[in-house]
Amino acid sequence: MATSFKFKPLTISILLLFLCNAIASSASGSSSTTMHTNNWAILVCTSRFWFNYRHMANTLSLYRTVKRLGIPDERIILMLADDMACNARNKYPAQVFNNENHRLNLYGDNVEVDYRGYEVTVENFLRILTGRHETAVPRSKRLLSDEGSHILLYMTGHGGDEFLKFQDSEELQSHDLADAVKQMKEKRRFKELLIMVDTCQAATLFSQLQSPGVLAIGSSKKGENSYSHHLDSDVGVSVVDRFTFFTLAFFERLNMYDNASLSSLFTSYNPNTLMSTAYYRTDLYQRRLEEVPVTNFFGSVMETIHTDSPYRAFSNRYYRKSKTEMPSDQSGGGNQRALEDSDVLEELADPKLNAIQVGCPLTHTWNTILGRMEKITQIDNFVNCGVVLMFPIVALSSWFSH
Amino acid sequence: MAAASAPTPSSTAEIAEAPEPLPSKLDNSEPDCPRKTRPGLKRLALTFTVLFSFLLGLPFLLKSVEIYRSPLPFREIDDLSAAVESIPLQFPCKFRAVFVGIGGSSFDANELSVKIEHQMREIAAKDSTSCGACTYNSSVCVVVENGADCFRSDNDFNWKCGALSELNKYEDSGEYNDELFDEYLHSLVDESDSRGNGNNVYTMIVVRREGQKDVSAVVGKYRHGWIVGRVSEEEAVKKVASVFVKVFVNGGKEEGSISGEFMPVGADGKIVLSFNLLNADPHDWTYDWEFQEIDDNLLAPILEYLKPLADISVESQVLYHTPKSSFSYWDETLGSYIFTTKDLPFFVEGRAILQYVPSSTECPLQLQLPNGKISKSNGFISPMWGSVVVWNHAACLNGSKMETRVRHMISSEDMRKIFEVFIGQLRQLFGLKSKGIFRDASGTMRLLTSESGFTEWELDVLSRQHTCFNLLQCTTTLGSLSRLVQSLPRMIIKEEIGEQVRYSLEAAKLALSNVSAGIYDASAVSSRRARSFAEDAFYHPSMMSVSYYSFEHCFAVYSPFFLPVALHVLLAALREWKRYKQESRKFKAWKSKKD
Repeated sequence: MATSFKFKPLTISILLLFLCNAIASSASGSSSTTMHTNNWAILVCTSRFWFNYRHMANTLSLYRTVKRLGIPDERIILMLADDMACNARNKYPAQVFNNENHRLNLYGDNVEVDYRGYEVTVENFLRILTGRHETAVPRSKRLLSDEGSHILLYMTGHGGDEFLKFQDSEELQSHDLADAVKQMKEKRRFKELLIMVDTCQAATLFSQLQSPGVLAIGSSKKGENSYSHHLDSDVGVSVVDRFTFFTLAFFERLNMYDNASLSSLFTSYNPNTLMSTAYYRTDLYQRRLEEVPVTNFFGSVMETIHTDSPYRAFSNRYYRKSKTEMPSDQSGGGNQRALEDSDVLEELADPKLNAIQVGCPLTHTWNTILGRMEKITQIDNFVNCGVVLMFPIVALSSWFSH
Repeated sequence: MAAASAPTPSSTAEIAEAPEPLPSKLDNSEPDCPRKTRPGLKRLALTFTVLFSFLLGLPFLLKSVEIYRSPLPFREIDDLSAAVESIPLQFPCKFRAVFVGIGGSSFDANELSVKIEHQMREIAAKDSTSCGACTYNSSVCVVVENGADCFRSDNDFNWKCGALSELNKYEDSGEYNDELFDEYLHSLVDESDSRGNGNNVYTMIVVRREGQKDVSAVVGKYRHGWIVGRVSEEEAVKKVASVFVKVFVNGGKEEGSISGEFMPVGADGKIVLSFNLLNADPHDWTYDWEFQEIDDNLLAPILEYLKPLADISVESQVLYHTPKSSFSYWDETLGSYIFTTKDLPFFVEGRAILQYVPSSTECPLQLQLPNGKISKSNGFISPMWGSVVVWNHAACLNGSKMETRVRHMISSEDMRKIFEVFIGQLRQLFGLKSKGIFRDASGTMRLLTSESGFTEWELDVLSRQHTCFNLLQCTTTLGSLSRLVQSLPRMIIKEEIGEQVRYSLEAAKLALSNVSAGIYDASAVSSRRARSFAEDAFYHPSMMSVSYYSFEHCFAVYSPFFLPVALHVLLAALREWKRYKQESRKFKAWKSKKD
């Protein structure tokens, strides 16, 4: 019995390795040949309760930005607990602000929330990503992307090391997210994916990703917190987070015809004002960030082809002899929004700061032990070995206890 | 107390026996208290019974915690993907050509056949073949007619010689009409088909006439085309080969056109066409349309014709207030508002097929192309999404005033014109061209239009492409499903999923056999079914990774119940066995000493 258990995890891990290689090799070739045809946005606010006002304001601000830059409602999936605007504690009923100057009401008349209240669960979130809905789920709640889609996935709330807390009752683990993205890539549900996470220790949430074509940025690294920007003394709570605040400041300067690049967005985060390090991950992404305009993810793209002529089949009056006339316009080719070269920011300033190790030697040794433990990659094997070792230890101890 | 301090000898013997094996382990050759009786089997039997009952119960326990996984045919899925993905899927097609007035012997017929085949292979090699091309293996049957002589390269082709000798008189009489000639040729070609498999045979007829200066090349509505005029043998061969390869096989797409995005059929084989009439500003004027009439007369036959490709359903609506979100500018010379192709992405939010009536502030609104010309159709498509036509009504062009509170009906004449643009756009969405001209290095061809929206050979092209695409999608999906299932060994796979996978495999096999037989329609239908079953199986809502239990979970739940008890039972059995062995050894030693 002990031996069979020992071999099973080994075979499973070997199988997984083979599968990962096969999948990676088969998936890497296809992403370059398809054309970018549309953009989708999935905006998730994972917190509820009044004191998490800023998370809902974050999500609504980004929703507004993305709509302004052109993505239509039918291609935005908005998940909110939606308990701020009509909260009994809200001094400004039906209004949600992201700045203490109250200049902009985010909860205007054009907000279409797809998943609200208790529908914001890990299961629903993963169902959106993988596409496995019950048959009764309406189209507006589904991610109907295809192999030419660029998807923006924005998540905000409370997070920790390798997890994100959903509605104070469950957690989304980083390996679940990585698994869902892997399935999406296999089924070619996206061409490129940009994940933005604004939580504490945000960078750990996408640490397990393996699929190509994914770009991820988090507001803080492992061990760092993400902070709110300012407190609105009138409303009584913090109204926006720093990372989102600076992201919005970047986008307020843009309009839909602009072509600022992603690298200018990513390098615009200053660790001093952010009070954390905005960490981004480009190892799974083939293109160079300077060449990617932000509207590739945040704006709208529609490839259009002109219709040369009507199909004259339904009346004899439109009969033409073959020799006489040919239509004057010859353009049958596609028209896409022109991607001009961005002349913004050439340097690749690395925003990472070196953490200074201060503290007493005990914490230092503890940290080294933790670091060494993190290097153990085959966690599963380790746990299984421990479980298997339990048998002989218990057997021996009960033998000797007599 | 005195009684307690002196226990009875029998019980002493019983109790004292238990710790005895431990000290006597060291020196079991010389026991201090010899055993005179045979050791009993009762204790042994008891402990071993308990142990065996545990062992007997183990399979029942394992069965009760077993995950139900419907057995998926992994091997067959792999075989299918090997069959479909390794070699590009190609269909058998037959080509025939008739030359009137060129050549004059049976040798010529064979020679022409070889030349055409050679030219076709050359052209096909240059083309980057997309999915669904033809194999160019079979030979081209050629008939050569010259005056009264008639030679064939292949006896299967029963062409009625001399049928086209009247052509001269017919053309000169002025009654000549491409459409009528097409019908006449269709009857001839049908008759000439001896084996009755009219589906995948393409015919080209070349008539050489000295009197005609320019060459007219037309492709008809069925599966044939003709070239009439002063054409040399070389030119004729080139033209025929290029028509065969570029038009009949590839659908008339010109070089450099985009392919692959033109598969609007959804995963379940259905398309929903949504026709919307958008009024920009109801203050100026509102329009309505008689959609039911259009649907019955014009649309329904087309959709019926497309049945093998997809199940198309139609819905329509009229929107009375839809402002545009991009801007146009007034151009004095052209006398109208212009929007360019750059503004198109932000035109209107919505989906499917739209007809937009601009408001008075922007009327008339015309589309300007990048080359500066004004669009004739005033419409554009966006692949995978839909299309838009901007309609400037007559009053707007005249500048006359209209009553605002009344709903005006679009006249049926206007509707028909708009509808023609819609059908052109529908064809574009399917990947075909909306105009009836095909141009390439060897010249220009006219492509006849059909009342059903699509000609027979175009439907063949679409069937082939869709079959190929569907089969590829099906195998990819099944492959992903099998990988997913194998990578999560503890995920429940319902019976339904297994059934759908089996149906999908069956349909895919049927599609492949249809492909090799060359039946396009049936292969399109079965490939569609295969794909829809595969997608249903993959997207089954029960396969969510959060809802299966890992092995660690199962172990952690069951081990506190069974592990301690099992361990103790096992150890007790072992101990009893050891004790029995020792007692019997002691007994044997005593017995041998006695003897």
